[in-house]
Amino acid sequence: MLRHLTAAFALCAAPLAAQDFSEGSEARSWNLYAEVPATFEARVVDLVCEFTGDCPADCGAGKRQLGLLRTADDVLVLAMKNSQPAFTGAAVELQPYCNEVITVDGLMLDDPDLGARNVYLVQTIVPPGGGDKIKANTWTKDWAAEHPEAAGKGPWFRRDPTIKEIIATEGYLGLGLETDEAFIADNF
Amino acid sequence: MRHLTLSLLAGLAMAGPGLAAEGTRIQVTGEIIDTWCYYSGVMGSPDAVVGSAHHTCALWCSAGGIPVGLLAEDGTVYMVLKVGDDAQAAGGDTLLRLAAHTVEADGMLYERDGLRYIVVSDVVSDLDITNQNHDDYGNVPPFSIPDPNK
Repeated sequence: MLRHLTAAFALCAAPLAAQDFSEGSEARSWNLYAEVPATFEARVVDLVCEFTGDCPADCGAGKRQLGLLRTADDVLVLAMKNSQPAFTGAAVELQPYCNEVITVDGLMLDDPDLGARNVYLVQTIVPPGGGDKIKANTWTKDWAAEHPEAAGKGPWFRRDPTIKEIIATEGYLGLGLETDEAFIADNF
Repeated sequence: MRHLTLSLLAGLAMAGPGLAAEGTRIQVTGEIIDTWCYYSGVMGSPDAVVGSAHHTCALWCSAGGIPVGLLAEDGTVYMVLKVGDDAQAAGGDTLLRLAAHTVEADGMLYERDGLRYIVVSDVVSDLDITNQNHDDYGNVPPFSIPDPNK
């Protein structure tokens, strides 16, 4: 009976243990401590919709956080980052494929000590039905279209009107302009 | 023994991925953080990418649509999906203005595949920035404050 029990465990565990999403991945390393290349097929889901049933047809137009419901094992992956090294998320990249099945390639972060499980940096997207890989790097272009008044030189995060307004009132450290002034005098 | 086997198999099935957890009402106190820097280590240790040291970078990441987390006092991270009526957790103003602040939040917790997600119904109190760690870590990353001498 014990042998049968062991076999039953092995049968159940085998399909999960066999999942290797790094196979076939062409993701570029970011030299992150916990990165693991991963490519997989998944349905793009609106996370608020997934948990609460509040489901706008457009998954929130790029303003809601989105997830990737992996086809192979039904695991919900949090799409945390796009491929731009510019403090930019993944929702804008995935939103055009709201509720559709795509194939993504990128980096999974897996750091049990910090609780990082199933969080993902999307580098490329193959749209539904196949085709060429699309780079997940449109965020800054999208931001520029939304903020024509902030056009100019330098990275977007130095020009974003709301960020500038908050820093102008709260300071870079968030503790007020006097604290900033003393810190800058001591450190620059 | 057959019952034991069936129970174990049922247990395995329930423990497997894809089983959405039911929501649980919780109240939690913690800091509104930038989860990418916290999880990836790209800007330094976890203690350095929170608080006043990381305030400006937290603004950048929040405005950039990176998921915002609520880092509780016990080290648990809750991914914030909504605050009140504002579901714009990817670059929206409500969370942006709370960057690095410590808040007391009341909401619904959903656990799925190793992560905890929270739909905040109410920010009970906003305690502003309580983690004043810039004397320990400087400004993280160093370019978050433009050099006034350049």
